[in-house]
Amino acid sequence: MATLHIKRLGQIKEASLVFGDLTVLVGPQATGKSIALQLLKLVVDAGQVQAELGRHGLDWSGKLPDFLDVYFGEGMRSIWQPHETSIRWDGQAVDLLQLAARRRKSKEESLFFIPAQRVLALRDGWPRPFTDYTPGDPFAVREFSEKLRVLVEQEFGASGDLFPQERRLKREFRGLLQEHVFANFHLKVDKFHSQKRLVLGVEKGAESLPYMVWSAGQREFVPLLLGFYWLMPATKVSRRGEINWVVLEELEMGLHPRAISVVVLLVLELVMRGYRVCLSTHSPQVLDALWALKHLRETQAQPEAFLNIFEAPNTPSMRKLAGSVMEKSVKVIYFNREDGTTTDISELDPSAASQAEAGWGGLSDFSSRANEAVARAVANSNKENQS
Amino acid sequence: MTFKRAVTQTPNLGTAWQPGLQALRAEDKPHIKVEDPREEHLRGSADIDTALQPHEPQANRWDFAVGYQHTNRRNEVIYWIETHTGSDNQIKVVLKKLAWLQTWMRRDGKQLANFERDIVWVSSGHTLFTKGSKQVKELAQKGLIYSGAILRILNDRRS
Repeated sequence: MATLHIKRLGQIKEASLVFGDLTVLVGPQATGKSIALQLLKLVVDAGQVQAELGRHGLDWSGKLPDFLDVYFGEGMRSIWQPHETSIRWDGQAVDLLQLAARRRKSKEESLFFIPAQRVLALRDGWPRPFTDYTPGDPFAVREFSEKLRVLVEQEFGASGDLFPQERRLKREFRGLLQEHVFANFHLKVDKFHSQKRLVLGVEKGAESLPYMVWSAGQREFVPLLLGFYWLMPATKVSRRGEINWVVLEELEMGLHPRAISVVVLLVLELVMRGYRVCLSTHSPQVLDALWALKHLRETQAQPEAFLNIFEAPNTPSMRKLAGSVMEKSVKVIYFNREDGTTTDISELDPSAASQAEAGWGGLSDFSSRANEAVARAVANSNKENQS
Repeated sequence: MTFKRAVTQTPNLGTAWQPGLQALRAEDKPHIKVEDPREEHLRGSADIDTALQPHEPQANRWDFAVGYQHTNRRNEVIYWIETHTGSDNQIKVVLKKLAWLQTWMRRDGKQLANFERDIVWVSSGHTLFTKGSKQVKELAQKGLIYSGAILRILNDRRS
Protein backbone atom coordinates (compact mmCIF):
# COMPACT_ATOMS: atom_id res chain seq x y z
CA MET A 1 0.00 0.00 0.00
CA ALA A 2 1.26 3.50 -0.77
CA THR A 3 2.25 5.53 2.27
CA LEU A 4 2.88 9.21 2.89
CA HIS A 5 4.60 10.22 6.09
CA ILE A 6 4.69 13.90 6.98
CA LYS A 7 6.46 15.61 9.85
CA ARG A 8 6.14 19.27 10.75
CA LEU A 9 4.32 20.71 7.79
CA GLY A 10 1.80 23.45 8.57
CA GLN A 11 -0.59 22.27 11.28
CA ILE A 12 0.65 18.69 10.89
CA LYS A 13 3.10 17.57 13.54
CA GLU A 14 3.21 13.99 12.41
CA ALA A 15 0.89 12.28 9.94
CA SER A 16 1.05 8.78 8.63
CA LEU A 17 -1.22 8.10 5.68
CA VAL A 18 -1.56 4.53 4.44
CA PHE A 19 -3.69 4.63 1.31
CA GLY A 20 -6.32 2.08 0.35
CA ASP A 21 -8.21 1.84 -2.91
CA LEU A 22 -10.42 4.44 -1.28
CA THR A 23 -8.99 6.70 1.42
CA VAL A 24 -11.07 9.17 3.41
CA LEU A 25 -9.62 11.97 5.52
CA VAL A 26 -11.74 13.38 8.34
CA GLY A 27 -11.08 15.90 11.08
CA PRO A 28 -11.90 19.47 12.11
CA GLN A 29 -11.15 22.50 9.98
CA ALA A 30 -7.52 23.54 9.61
CA THR A 31 -5.95 20.28 10.73
CA GLY A 32 -3.91 19.78 7.56
CA LYS A 33 -6.13 17.52 5.45
CA SER A 34 -5.94 19.77 2.41
CA ILE A 35 -2.19 20.33 2.82
CA ALA A 36 -1.71 16.55 2.96
CA LEU A 37 -3.77 16.03 -0.21
CA GLN A 38 -1.99 18.82 -2.11
CA LEU A 39 1.32 17.38 -0.97
CA LEU A 40 0.26 13.99 -2.32
CA LYS A 41 -0.34 15.64 -5.70
CA LEU A 42 3.08 17.27 -5.52
CA VAL A 43 5.03 14.12 -4.65
CA VAL A 44 3.18 12.06 -7.27
CA ASP A 45 3.22 14.67 -10.06
CA ALA A 46 6.17 16.99 -9.35
CA GLY A 47 7.24 17.16 -13.02
CA GLN A 48 3.73 17.85 -14.31
CA VAL A 49 3.15 20.54 -11.66
CA GLN A 50 6.41 22.29 -12.54
CA ALA A 51 5.69 22.05 -16.26
CA GLU A 52 2.22 23.52 -15.85
CA LEU A 53 3.44 26.37 -13.68
CA GLY A 54 6.22 27.10 -16.19
CA ARG A 55 3.84 26.91 -19.15
CA HIS A 56 1.70 29.61 -17.58
CA GLY A 57 4.64 31.93 -16.90
CA LEU A 58 5.24 31.28 -13.22
CA ASP A 59 8.86 31.41 -12.08
CA TRP A 60 9.90 30.58 -8.52
CA SER A 61 13.66 30.87 -9.31
CA GLY A 62 14.36 27.50 -7.77
CA LYS A 63 13.54 28.81 -4.28
CA LEU A 64 11.37 26.65 -2.06
CA PRO A 65 9.51 29.46 -0.22
CA ASP A 66 8.48 31.01 -3.54
CA PHE A 67 7.52 27.61 -4.89
CA LEU A 68 5.32 26.92 -1.84
CA ASP A 69 3.53 30.25 -2.33
CA VAL A 70 2.94 29.46 -5.98
CA TYR A 71 1.86 25.86 -5.41
CA PHE A 72 -0.11 25.91 -2.12
CA GLY A 73 -1.13 29.57 -2.40
CA GLU A 74 -0.02 32.94 -1.14
CA GLY A 75 1.42 32.92 2.40
CA MET A 76 1.85 29.15 2.46
CA ARG A 77 5.66 29.42 2.51
CA SER A 78 5.27 29.40 6.28
CA ILE A 79 4.12 25.77 6.37
CA TRP A 80 7.66 24.56 5.71
CA GLN A 81 10.04 24.61 8.65
CA PRO A 82 13.77 24.42 7.79
CA HIS A 83 15.49 21.37 9.33
CA GLU A 84 12.20 20.15 10.81
CA THR A 85 9.86 19.38 7.94
CA SER A 86 10.33 15.90 6.57
CA ILE A 87 8.36 13.91 4.03
CA ARG A 88 8.56 10.26 3.07
CA TRP A 89 6.68 8.83 0.11
CA ASP A 90 6.55 5.03 0.05
CA GLY A 91 9.47 5.00 2.44
CA GLN A 92 11.66 7.28 0.29
CA ALA A 93 12.64 10.72 1.58
CA VAL A 94 11.27 13.62 -0.47
CA ASP A 95 13.49 16.69 -0.36
CA LEU A 96 11.30 19.72 -0.99
CA LEU A 97 14.33 22.02 -1.33
CA GLN A 98 15.66 19.86 -4.12
CA LEU A 99 12.21 19.50 -5.66
CA ALA A 100 11.85 23.28 -5.93
CA ALA A 101 15.43 23.76 -7.17
CA ARG A 102 15.44 21.27 -10.02
CA ARG A 103 12.94 20.88 -12.83
CA ARG A 104 11.79 17.30 -13.35
CA LYS A 105 11.72 15.81 -16.81
CA SER A 106 8.55 13.78 -16.52
CA LYS A 107 5.45 15.76 -17.43
CA GLU A 108 3.00 12.88 -17.14
CA GLU A 109 0.06 13.51 -14.85
CA SER A 110 -1.07 10.64 -12.66
CA LEU A 111 -3.23 12.45 -10.07
CA PHE A 112 -6.37 14.46 -10.83
CA PHE A 113 -7.28 16.93 -8.10
CA ILE A 114 -10.81 18.24 -7.53
CA PRO A 115 -10.42 21.04 -4.97
CA ALA A 116 -12.90 22.17 -2.34
CA GLN A 117 -13.01 25.63 -3.99
CA ARG A 118 -14.29 24.11 -7.25
CA VAL A 119 -17.21 26.55 -7.40
CA LEU A 120 -14.63 29.20 -8.34
CA ALA A 121 -13.85 27.29 -11.54
CA LEU A 122 -16.87 28.78 -13.29
CA ARG A 123 -17.43 32.47 -13.86
CA ASP A 124 -20.64 33.58 -15.51
CA GLY A 125 -21.22 29.95 -16.40
CA TRP A 126 -17.95 29.25 -18.21
CA PRO A 127 -14.73 27.61 -16.91
CA ARG A 128 -11.93 30.06 -16.15
CA PRO A 129 -8.49 29.52 -17.69
CA PHE A 130 -5.42 29.01 -15.50
CA THR A 131 -4.23 32.56 -16.10
CA ASP A 132 -7.55 34.07 -15.02
CA TYR A 133 -6.49 33.59 -11.39
CA THR A 134 -3.93 35.59 -9.42
CA PRO A 135 -0.44 34.10 -8.94
CA GLY A 136 -1.31 33.71 -5.25
CA ASP A 137 -4.20 31.31 -5.87
CA PRO A 138 -3.52 27.62 -5.17
CA PHE A 139 -2.29 25.52 -8.08
CA ALA A 140 -4.95 22.87 -7.43
CA VAL A 141 -7.77 25.36 -8.06
CA ARG A 142 -6.18 26.91 -11.17
CA GLU A 143 -5.27 23.56 -12.66
CA PHE A 144 -8.74 22.08 -12.09
CA SER A 145 -10.33 25.13 -13.65
CA GLU A 146 -8.03 24.89 -16.67
CA LYS A 147 -8.91 21.22 -17.12
CA LEU A 148 -12.62 22.05 -17.16
CA ARG A 149 -12.00 24.77 -19.75
CA VAL A 150 -10.18 22.32 -21.99
CA LEU A 151 -12.88 19.69 -21.48
CA VAL A 152 -15.79 21.99 -22.26
CA GLU A 153 -14.07 23.69 -25.22
CA GLN A 154 -12.65 20.54 -26.79
CA GLU A 155 -15.24 17.91 -25.97
CA PHE A 156 -18.38 20.02 -25.76
CA GLY A 157 -17.39 22.86 -28.08
CA ALA A 158 -20.54 22.89 -30.10
CA SER A 159 -23.74 23.99 -28.47
CA GLY A 160 -25.68 21.10 -27.06
CA ASP A 161 -26.47 19.20 -23.87
CA LEU A 162 -23.69 18.45 -21.38
CA PHE A 163 -26.17 16.67 -19.19
CA PRO A 164 -27.78 14.27 -19.71
CA GLN A 165 -25.53 12.81 -22.39
CA GLU A 166 -25.92 9.31 -23.79
CA ARG A 167 -22.22 8.49 -23.73
CA ARG A 168 -21.40 10.11 -20.41
CA LEU A 169 -22.02 8.25 -17.16
CA LYS A 170 -24.14 5.14 -16.71
CA ARG A 171 -27.83 5.43 -17.45
CA GLU A 172 -28.57 4.77 -13.77
CA PHE A 173 -26.35 7.67 -12.67
CA ARG A 174 -28.00 9.95 -15.18
CA GLY A 175 -31.40 9.05 -13.74
CA LEU A 176 -30.28 9.62 -10.16
CA LEU A 177 -28.64 12.96 -10.99
CA GLN A 178 -31.67 14.05 -12.94
CA GLU A 179 -33.84 13.31 -9.93
CA HIS A 180 -31.65 14.55 -7.08
CA VAL A 181 -29.55 17.36 -8.55
CA PHE A 182 -30.93 18.74 -11.80
CA ALA A 183 -34.65 18.28 -11.19
CA ASN A 184 -35.27 17.48 -14.87
CA PHE A 185 -33.26 20.47 -16.11
CA HIS A 186 -30.66 19.92 -18.82
CA LEU A 187 -27.18 21.39 -18.60
CA LYS A 188 -26.27 22.85 -21.95
CA VAL A 189 -24.09 25.31 -23.78
CA ASP A 190 -25.77 28.36 -25.22
CA LYS A 191 -24.68 31.81 -26.36
CA PHE A 192 -25.43 35.19 -24.87
CA HIS A 193 -24.30 38.07 -27.12
CA SER A 194 -21.89 35.65 -28.83
CA GLN A 195 -20.44 34.53 -25.49
CA LYS A 196 -20.73 30.81 -24.81
CA ARG A 197 -21.99 29.86 -21.39
CA LEU A 198 -23.44 26.90 -19.50
CA VAL A 199 -27.11 27.19 -18.70
CA LEU A 200 -29.85 25.01 -17.27
CA GLY A 201 -32.87 24.58 -19.47
CA VAL A 202 -35.92 22.37 -19.67
CA GLU A 203 -36.36 21.83 -23.35
CA LYS A 204 -35.56 23.40 -26.69
CA GLY A 205 -37.12 26.77 -27.16
CA ALA A 206 -37.89 27.28 -23.46
CA GLU A 207 -36.16 29.95 -21.38
CA SER A 208 -32.77 28.92 -19.99
CA LEU A 209 -31.47 29.63 -16.51
CA PRO A 210 -28.05 31.31 -16.44
CA TYR A 211 -25.40 30.45 -13.88
CA MET A 212 -26.32 33.15 -11.36
CA VAL A 213 -29.82 31.79 -10.84
CA TRP A 214 -28.81 28.18 -10.35
CA SER A 215 -29.22 26.79 -6.85
CA ALA A 216 -26.11 26.78 -4.66
CA GLY A 217 -26.00 23.00 -4.93
CA GLN A 218 -26.15 23.12 -8.72
CA ARG A 219 -23.33 25.68 -8.84
CA GLU A 220 -21.26 23.41 -6.63
CA PHE A 221 -22.18 20.27 -8.50
CA VAL A 222 -21.59 21.28 -12.12
CA PRO A 223 -17.78 21.65 -11.75
CA LEU A 224 -17.80 18.30 -9.96
CA LEU A 225 -19.83 16.72 -12.77
CA LEU A 226 -17.31 18.04 -15.29
CA GLY A 227 -14.55 16.55 -13.14
CA PHE A 228 -16.29 13.17 -13.34
CA TYR A 229 -16.59 13.61 -17.12
CA TRP A 230 -12.84 14.24 -17.27
CA LEU A 231 -12.17 11.03 -15.36
CA MET A 232 -14.72 8.91 -17.24
CA PRO A 233 -14.12 9.62 -20.93
CA ALA A 234 -16.85 8.98 -23.47
CA THR A 235 -14.64 6.37 -25.14
CA LYS A 236 -14.50 2.71 -24.16
CA VAL A 237 -11.40 3.19 -21.99
CA SER A 238 -12.25 3.17 -18.32
CA ARG A 239 -9.73 5.82 -17.28
CA ARG A 240 -8.23 8.97 -18.75
CA GLY A 241 -4.60 8.96 -19.86
CA GLU A 242 -2.08 7.97 -17.24
CA ILE A 243 -4.22 9.07 -14.31
CA ASN A 244 -4.18 6.59 -11.43
CA TRP A 245 -5.10 8.81 -8.52
CA VAL A 246 -8.07 11.05 -7.83
CA VAL A 247 -8.33 13.53 -4.97
CA LEU A 248 -11.77 14.92 -4.23
CA GLU A 249 -12.06 17.45 -1.43
CA GLU A 250 -15.32 17.76 0.51
CA LEU A 251 -17.60 15.98 -1.95
CA GLU A 252 -20.66 17.07 0.05
CA MET A 253 -20.29 20.83 -0.59
CA GLY A 254 -23.70 22.45 -1.01
CA LEU A 255 -25.50 19.16 -1.61
CA HIS A 256 -28.61 17.62 -0.07
CA PRO A 257 -28.02 14.14 1.44
CA ARG A 258 -29.79 12.51 -1.54
CA ALA A 259 -27.41 14.23 -3.92
CA ILE A 260 -24.48 13.28 -1.67
CA SER A 261 -25.57 9.65 -2.05
CA VAL A 262 -25.28 9.93 -5.82
CA VAL A 263 -21.85 11.55 -5.57
CA VAL A 264 -20.67 8.75 -3.27
CA LEU A 265 -21.84 6.23 -5.88
CA LEU A 266 -19.96 8.14 -8.58
CA VAL A 267 -16.86 8.05 -6.40
CA LEU A 268 -17.28 4.29 -6.04
CA GLU A 269 -17.56 4.06 -9.82
CA LEU A 270 -14.12 5.69 -9.99
CA VAL A 271 -12.83 3.11 -7.51
CA MET A 272 -14.31 0.30 -9.59
CA ARG A 273 -12.55 1.69 -12.67
CA GLY A 274 -9.26 1.26 -10.87
CA TYR A 275 -8.57 4.81 -9.74
CA ARG A 276 -7.15 5.19 -6.25
CA VAL A 277 -9.44 7.77 -4.73
CA CYS A 278 -8.72 10.04 -1.76
CA LEU A 279 -11.50 12.11 -0.24
CA SER A 280 -11.75 14.60 2.53
CA THR A 281 -15.16 15.00 4.10
CA HIS A 282 -17.17 16.54 6.92
CA SER A 283 -20.19 14.42 6.07
CA PRO A 284 -21.19 11.61 8.48
CA GLN A 285 -23.16 10.18 5.55
CA VAL A 286 -19.94 9.24 3.76
CA LEU A 287 -18.75 7.34 6.83
CA ASP A 288 -22.19 5.76 7.23
CA ALA A 289 -21.76 4.33 3.73
CA LEU A 290 -18.25 3.03 4.47
CA TRP A 291 -19.35 1.57 7.80
CA ALA A 292 -22.16 -0.28 6.02
CA LEU A 293 -19.79 -1.38 3.27
CA LYS A 294 -17.43 -2.87 5.84
CA HIS A 295 -20.16 -4.85 7.61
CA LEU A 296 -21.80 -6.00 4.40
CA ARG A 297 -18.42 -7.23 3.20
CA GLU A 298 -17.80 -9.07 6.50
CA THR A 299 -21.17 -10.75 6.37
CA GLN A 300 -20.79 -11.55 2.65
CA ALA A 301 -24.05 -9.78 1.94
CA GLN A 302 -25.42 -9.52 -1.59
CA PRO A 303 -24.50 -6.37 -3.55
CA GLU A 304 -28.20 -5.42 -3.57
CA ALA A 305 -27.98 -4.71 0.16
CA PHE A 306 -25.41 -2.03 -0.52
CA LEU A 307 -27.42 -0.51 -3.36
CA ASN A 308 -30.47 -0.29 -1.09
CA ILE A 309 -28.60 2.16 1.14
CA PHE A 310 -28.39 4.56 -1.78
CA GLU A 311 -31.85 3.79 -3.15
CA ALA A 312 -29.96 3.00 -6.35
CA PRO A 313 -31.53 0.96 -9.16
CA ASN A 314 -30.97 -2.76 -8.78
CA THR A 315 -29.61 -3.34 -12.30
CA PRO A 316 -26.83 -5.69 -13.43
CA SER A 317 -24.51 -2.74 -13.97
CA MET A 318 -25.12 -1.31 -10.48
CA ARG A 319 -24.81 -4.77 -8.88
CA LYS A 320 -21.46 -5.10 -10.63
CA LEU A 321 -20.42 -1.76 -9.15
CA ALA A 322 -21.51 -2.74 -5.63
CA GLY A 323 -19.91 -6.18 -5.92
CA SER A 324 -16.67 -4.63 -7.08
CA VAL A 325 -16.36 -2.02 -4.33
CA MET A 326 -17.14 -4.63 -1.69
CA GLU A 327 -13.79 -6.16 -2.67
CA LYS A 328 -11.82 -2.91 -2.37
CA SER A 329 -9.73 -1.71 0.54
CA VAL A 330 -10.93 1.36 2.43
CA LYS A 331 -8.92 3.53 4.81
CA VAL A 332 -10.28 6.27 7.05
CA ILE A 333 -7.77 8.62 8.63
CA TYR A 334 -8.54 11.11 11.37
CA PHE A 335 -6.61 14.38 11.64
CA ASN A 336 -6.45 15.38 15.30
CA ARG A 337 -6.33 19.08 16.08
CA GLU A 338 -5.11 18.63 19.66
CA ASP A 339 -1.76 17.03 18.90
CA GLY A 340 -1.39 17.50 15.14
CA THR A 341 -1.22 13.75 14.50
CA THR A 342 -3.31 11.28 12.53
CA THR A 343 -5.10 8.10 13.60
CA ASP A 344 -6.29 5.24 11.43
CA ILE A 345 -10.00 4.83 12.29
CA SER A 346 -10.84 2.53 9.37
CA GLU A 347 -12.69 0.08 11.63
CA LEU A 348 -15.31 2.81 12.31
CA ASP A 349 -16.40 0.81 15.34
CA PRO A 350 -18.99 2.86 17.29
CA SER A 351 -18.04 0.86 20.39
CA ALA A 352 -14.29 1.38 20.08
CA ALA A 353 -12.49 2.50 23.20
CA SER A 354 -10.85 5.26 21.15
CA GLN A 355 -13.09 8.34 21.10
CA ALA A 356 -11.68 9.29 17.70
CA GLU A 357 -12.88 6.04 16.20
CA ALA A 358 -16.16 5.67 18.14
CA GLY A 359 -17.11 9.28 17.33
CA TRP A 360 -15.95 8.93 13.72
CA GLY A 361 -13.43 11.71 14.03
CA GLY A 362 -15.96 14.02 15.62
CA LEU A 363 -18.57 13.58 12.87
CA SER A 364 -21.08 11.82 15.13
CA ASP A 365 -20.32 13.73 18.36
CA PHE A 366 -23.04 16.31 17.91
CA SER A 367 -25.63 13.65 17.22
CA SER A 368 -24.51 11.72 20.32
CA ARG A 369 -24.84 14.80 22.49
CA ALA A 370 -28.28 15.57 21.06
CA ASN A 371 -29.40 12.01 21.78
CA GLU A 372 -28.02 12.17 25.30
CA ALA A 373 -29.71 15.50 26.06
CA VAL A 374 -33.10 14.23 24.85
CA ALA A 375 -32.82 10.88 26.64
CA ARG A 376 -31.80 12.57 29.87
CA ALA A 377 -34.63 15.10 29.69
CA VAL A 378 -37.20 12.37 28.98
CA ALA A 379 -35.88 10.05 31.72
CA ASN A 380 -36.01 12.78 34.34
CA SER A 381 -39.26 14.41 33.24
CA ASN A 382 -41.14 11.27 34.34
CA LYS A 383 -39.65 11.42 37.81
CA GLU A 384 -42.53 13.13 39.54
CA ASN A 385 -45.03 10.66 38.12
CA GLN A 386 -42.94 7.83 39.43
CA SER A 387 -42.31 9.15 42.92
CA MET B 1 -30.95 10.44 51.30
CA THR B 2 -27.92 8.67 49.83
CA PHE B 3 -27.88 6.09 47.07
CA LYS B 4 -26.76 3.44 49.55
CA ARG B 5 -29.59 4.20 51.96
CA ALA B 6 -32.19 4.30 49.23
CA VAL B 7 -31.08 0.86 48.03
CA THR B 8 -31.21 -0.65 51.48
CA GLN B 9 -34.70 0.78 52.09
CA THR B 10 -36.07 -0.54 48.79
CA PRO B 11 -38.15 -3.73 49.03
CA ASN B 12 -36.15 -6.85 48.12
CA LEU B 13 -32.92 -4.90 47.46
CA GLY B 14 -31.85 -4.89 51.12
CA THR B 15 -28.38 -6.35 50.65
CA ALA B 16 -27.86 -5.52 46.99
CA TRP B 17 -25.72 -2.44 47.61
CA GLN B 18 -21.96 -2.99 47.18
CA PRO B 19 -19.09 -0.51 47.36
CA GLY B 20 -17.53 0.67 44.12
CA LEU B 21 -18.52 -1.39 41.12
CA GLN B 22 -18.46 -4.63 43.09
CA ALA B 23 -22.12 -5.41 42.37
CA LEU B 24 -21.34 -5.69 38.67
CA ARG B 25 -20.57 -9.01 37.00
CA ALA B 26 -16.93 -9.34 36.02
CA GLU B 27 -17.80 -9.22 32.32
CA ASP B 28 -19.71 -5.96 32.76
CA LYS B 29 -17.06 -4.01 34.65
CA PRO B 30 -14.87 -3.19 31.60
CA HIS B 31 -17.85 -1.41 30.05
CA ILE B 32 -18.06 1.20 32.82
CA LYS B 33 -15.32 3.82 33.17
CA VAL B 34 -15.59 6.26 36.06
CA GLU B 35 -13.31 9.27 36.28
CA ASP B 36 -12.82 8.94 40.02
CA PRO B 37 -13.40 5.53 41.64
CA ARG B 38 -12.92 6.86 45.17
CA GLU B 39 -15.89 6.62 47.50
CA GLU B 40 -16.43 10.38 47.59
CA HIS B 41 -17.49 10.11 43.92
CA LEU B 42 -18.33 6.48 43.19
CA ARG B 43 -21.07 5.83 45.73
CA GLY B 44 -21.58 2.14 45.11
CA SER B 45 -23.59 -0.17 42.89
CA ALA B 46 -26.53 -2.56 43.10
CA ASP B 47 -27.29 -5.70 41.08
CA ILE B 48 -31.01 -5.20 40.55
CA ASP B 49 -31.40 -8.20 38.25
CA THR B 50 -29.99 -10.76 40.69
CA ALA B 51 -31.65 -9.28 43.79
CA LEU B 52 -35.13 -9.33 42.26
CA GLN B 53 -34.80 -12.63 40.40
CA PRO B 54 -36.42 -14.72 43.19
CA HIS B 55 -39.30 -12.23 43.47
CA GLU B 56 -39.98 -11.55 39.80
CA PRO B 57 -38.45 -14.52 37.95
CA GLN B 58 -40.42 -13.97 34.72
CA ALA B 59 -39.94 -10.22 34.52
CA ASN B 60 -37.64 -8.43 32.06
CA ARG B 61 -35.55 -7.06 34.89
CA TRP B 62 -33.03 -4.21 34.49
CA ASP B 63 -29.39 -5.10 35.17
CA PHE B 64 -27.89 -2.74 37.73
CA ALA B 65 -27.57 0.75 39.15
CA VAL B 66 -24.50 2.83 39.97
CA GLY B 67 -24.51 5.90 42.23
CA TYR B 68 -22.12 8.76 41.47
CA GLN B 69 -21.50 12.10 43.17
CA HIS B 70 -20.59 14.66 40.50
CA THR B 71 -18.69 17.82 41.34
CA ASN B 72 -21.42 19.99 39.80
CA ARG B 73 -24.40 18.32 41.52
CA ARG B 74 -25.61 18.66 45.10
CA ASN B 75 -27.06 15.14 45.17
CA GLU B 76 -25.94 11.82 43.82
CA VAL B 77 -26.97 10.76 40.34
CA ILE B 78 -28.05 7.19 39.60
CA TYR B 79 -26.97 5.47 36.39
CA TRP B 80 -29.40 2.71 35.52
CA ILE B 81 -27.35 0.42 33.31
CA GLU B 82 -28.34 -2.46 31.06
CA THR B 83 -25.54 -4.33 29.31
CA HIS B 84 -26.95 -5.93 26.21
CA THR B 85 -25.96 -6.74 22.66
CA GLY B 86 -26.21 -3.62 20.53
CA SER B 87 -28.24 -4.74 17.56
CA ASP B 88 -31.59 -3.99 15.94
CA ASN B 89 -33.27 -7.22 17.00
CA GLN B 90 -32.55 -6.49 20.68
CA ILE B 91 -34.36 -3.15 20.75
CA LYS B 92 -37.69 -4.73 21.68
CA VAL B 93 -36.09 -6.73 24.51
CA VAL B 94 -34.39 -3.67 25.98
CA LEU B 95 -37.54 -1.57 25.63
CA LYS B 96 -39.44 -4.26 27.60
CA LYS B 97 -36.80 -3.99 30.30
CA LEU B 98 -37.15 -0.21 30.27
CA ALA B 99 -40.91 -0.52 30.69
CA TRP B 100 -40.34 -2.89 33.60
CA LEU B 101 -37.87 -0.46 35.21
CA GLN B 102 -40.29 2.45 34.91
CA THR B 103 -43.13 0.42 36.44
CA TRP B 104 -40.87 -0.87 39.19
CA MET B 105 -39.72 2.66 40.04
CA ARG B 106 -43.34 3.72 40.46
CA ARG B 107 -44.09 0.69 42.63
CA ASP B 108 -41.13 -0.48 44.74
CA GLY B 109 -38.29 1.79 43.64
CA LYS B 110 -39.85 5.11 44.66
CA GLN B 111 -36.94 6.18 46.81
CA LEU B 112 -34.46 5.52 44.02
CA ALA B 113 -36.73 7.23 41.50
CA ASN B 114 -36.29 10.49 43.36
CA PHE B 115 -32.64 10.75 42.27
CA GLU B 116 -31.53 12.44 39.07
CA ARG B 117 -30.82 9.65 36.63
CA ASP B 118 -29.51 8.41 33.32
CA ILE B 119 -30.93 5.20 31.90
CA VAL B 120 -28.24 3.67 29.75
CA TRP B 121 -27.97 0.75 27.35
CA VAL B 122 -24.34 -0.32 27.17
CA SER B 123 -23.46 -2.61 24.32
CA SER B 124 -21.97 -5.87 25.56
CA GLY B 125 -20.71 -6.97 22.17
CA HIS B 126 -20.13 -5.69 18.70
CA THR B 127 -22.22 -2.57 18.12
CA LEU B 128 -24.43 -2.50 15.10
CA PHE B 129 -25.88 1.00 15.49
CA THR B 130 -24.26 4.20 14.40
CA LYS B 131 -24.44 7.00 16.94
CA GLY B 132 -26.54 9.20 14.71
CA SER B 133 -28.94 6.46 13.67
CA LYS B 134 -32.71 6.67 13.72
CA GLN B 135 -32.85 3.77 16.18
CA VAL B 136 -30.68 5.60 18.71
CA LYS B 137 -32.86 8.70 18.36
CA GLU B 138 -36.01 6.63 18.93
CA LEU B 139 -34.46 5.20 22.08
CA ALA B 140 -33.54 8.73 23.24
CA GLN B 141 -37.15 9.82 22.85
CA LYS B 142 -38.08 7.04 25.26
CA GLY B 143 -35.50 8.25 27.76
CA LEU B 144 -32.80 5.71 26.97
CA ILE B 145 -29.19 6.63 26.23
CA TYR B 146 -27.34 4.22 23.96
CA SER B 147 -23.71 4.59 24.98
CA GLY B 148 -21.98 2.09 22.74
CA ALA B 149 -19.62 -0.32 24.47
CA ILE B 150 -18.30 2.10 27.05
CA LEU B 151 -20.17 4.28 29.51
CA ARG B 152 -17.90 7.05 30.76
CA ILE B 153 -18.96 8.76 33.98
CA LEU B 154 -17.05 12.00 34.44
CA ASN B 155 -16.83 14.13 37.59
CA ASP B 156 -18.36 17.09 35.80
CA ARG B 157 -21.79 16.04 34.55
CA ARG B 158 -22.96 17.61 31.32
CA SER B 159 -26.24 19.41 31.95
